[in-house]
Amino acid sequence: MSTRHAIDPSAPLVIEAQDLKTHFQGRSGILSALVGVKPPSARALDGVDLRIREREIVGLVGESGCGKSTLGMTLVRMYQPTDGQILYRGEDITKVEGRRLKAYRHSAQIIFQDPYSSLNPRLTIGQVIEEPLIIHGIGTAAERREKVIRALELVRIPAEGNIDRYPSDLSGGQRQRVAIARALVLEPKFIVADEPVSMLDVSIQASVLELLDELSRELGLAVLYISHDIATVGYICNHVAVMYLGRIVEEGRSEDVLMRPLHPYTQRLMDAIPRMTPGETPERIELRGDVPSPLAVPPGCRFSSRCPYATALCEAVEPALSDQAEAHRVRCHIYDDRAARAHPDLPAPRAGKITEVAETGALVAAAEDARWQS
Amino acid sequence: MVAVASPRFGQRPASPATLAELEKLTERLARKPAAHLLVDGLSIGYSTLRGRFHAVEDVSFEVPAGTNLGLVGESGCGKSTVVKTLMGLQPEATQVSGRALLDGQNILGLDETALRDVRWKRMSLITQSAMNSLDPVYCIGDQISEAILAHEPVSKATAWARAEQMFALVGLPAGRLYEFPHMFSGGMRQRAVIAMALALNAGLLLADEPTTALDPIMQSQIMTRIRGIHAHLRCSMILVTHDIAVVAETCENIVVMYAGKVAESGPTAEVLESPLHPYTMGLKNAFPRLPERGAPRQPLISIPGVVPNLLLPPAGCRFASRCPFATEVCHRVTPPVVQVGAQRAACHHTDRAAEFRVAAARPETWRTMRGAV
Repeated sequence: MSTRHAIDPSAPLVIEAQDLKTHFQGRSGILSALVGVKPPSARALDGVDLRIREREIVGLVGESGCGKSTLGMTLVRMYQPTDGQILYRGEDITKVEGRRLKAYRHSAQIIFQDPYSSLNPRLTIGQVIEEPLIIHGIGTAAERREKVIRALELVRIPAEGNIDRYPSDLSGGQRQRVAIARALVLEPKFIVADEPVSMLDVSIQASVLELLDELSRELGLAVLYISHDIATVGYICNHVAVMYLGRIVEEGRSEDVLMRPLHPYTQRLMDAIPRMTPGETPERIELRGDVPSPLAVPPGCRFSSRCPYATALCEAVEPALSDQAEAHRVRCHIYDDRAARAHPDLPAPRAGKITEVAETGALVAAAEDARWQS
Repeated sequence: MVAVASPRFGQRPASPATLAELEKLTERLARKPAAHLLVDGLSIGYSTLRGRFHAVEDVSFEVPAGTNLGLVGESGCGKSTVVKTLMGLQPEATQVSGRALLDGQNILGLDETALRDVRWKRMSLITQSAMNSLDPVYCIGDQISEAILAHEPVSKATAWARAEQMFALVGLPAGRLYEFPHMFSGGMRQRAVIAMALALNAGLLLADEPTTALDPIMQSQIMTRIRGIHAHLRCSMILVTHDIAVVAETCENIVVMYAGKVAESGPTAEVLESPLHPYTMGLKNAFPRLPERGAPRQPLISIPGVVPNLLLPPAGCRFASRCPFATEVCHRVTPPVVQVGAQRAACHHTDRAAEFRVAAARPETWRTMRGAV
């Protein structure tokens, strides 16, 4: 399992999100009802574009609370999007209901983080995997059993001796394989894997990642792999998108994003990962503060409150995603002067080395840095 | 006049008497030297309905004064059990044997009164789950001052002022001492727990998975704090984690545990550079790394199989069933601890470690074991 094969750009699109938004309406209290003020809504997902092709694994990374899981759950329609469109093989499924929604759920599945709580402890492995088939009214009992056995084979668990065991008899890695088998039994075309290995021990993480990789190739699956462990993303993903406060701030081929991050946020995110070189603690520029609340999204660039390069332009105008070399896209004024030209009165941010002011502890961007020029 | 420091609760500046007392307390605490810990033949067992369960067996290691030790291993390997037992927090009927000498004094089997002198003052714990280790109905400041008041003969105001000092050390504003745990984010709660553990300047800090479940940015913030504080206070530390990269950056020495036993120990650089035990090799190759420019990408290799059931521990080496290099003797005889340079490994075949390291870096080596589910 090395860096993944390049994806054929002519491969058919499986899932496409266009300006997708999911806002959660805060509950109205007595006071706000009396005063007639609408409670604020949390803009968990706020205008995301994403495309996943057949056999492609797209990685989605970001801090806790940036909207990664909301995007995953919206794409499989567990949340109703507030605005925007979801296209499944070109068909708009944003607002489908009833039978058509059930049909979509047949082809779009999700795997959750915690294999200890996502499997019903009172059902055997065979029953757990069979349940989706019963819900969708597929096949006779004998046909279903055959499908269950085939799904177990796909996740490399011998059906013999395991099909009648209970989840409590299995290890964490095996449980997660069962959860994957349950997702696969309906023969979906699109799978959301929401932190599928973060609860597993390091020694077995690799095998589950490898399995996802192989399944995507064998079955032509489109996979959205959500994780805050950026290092794992590099192993299985063709394409990586970095989210911050409900928006994608950078995306591109995984080697490009991981090795040459452009957005100041992605750069801090990469910096924060410990390296396996004993005795060497790299000089880190620590990112201060927390992600702003999705209830009060800043008007300009969403990262401006924590960005050492931020200027008045960043605080006033939100940058658009701009195309850089090699299909690399980034949402930052440093790489895109369109906004600066439109607002010549506001100072624009410039790239440079970040230093810490000793007295205040504030981070400021100083003169040019070699790192930005390479 | 209304005090403006904390608009919510009207924080008042400390009185001169309090400040003088605080200065004395700080000075007294600052004189504490870093602690030295020697754990020797520690075994921890529980009696269960299905027989005796050895969670930890014959674990020995040393934390020289002023150094950091990383205790790593998979879930269920006994690393947290070791730390809990050192703090005297094990369940009542636990059978503990062996010695743990904190500056020469055996701290295993102390009674409650004697333990009070050790906990917080000489040894303190940063717990794994900051969510659950703070009391939801007391404000954070009260929880920190309570620990100080229980151990030092100072006034309440001084204890509070000390708590303010600790909050500054972990980078939290003093005004938030008046707040309750639910008002803090996960990372802030973890920092509050660290502040509490540091309040009495214990010579030995036990950090049990302090950054697990935090995202990488928060993890980096917390670890930077812990490293800074460690340099500043000159204490010793045991860092329990499953993240070997964090250990590589933070700890001079490492102990790798597997199924209740020490598989390998020694200086971190040497153990991670040239591991002697096949389990350490496997763990290293299974650990995801960021791609490096120009360097060829190492494949990610998982270790097949599962940890043995400790109710029926296998004869011989506990890793043998998952080890691609296991020979007949491994399944029969418990391996001796072999010392090679500064490294110690419990393996029959340490003499072939160089050859194993080359083979262990190839995915095929481990794939031959894949039959076992």
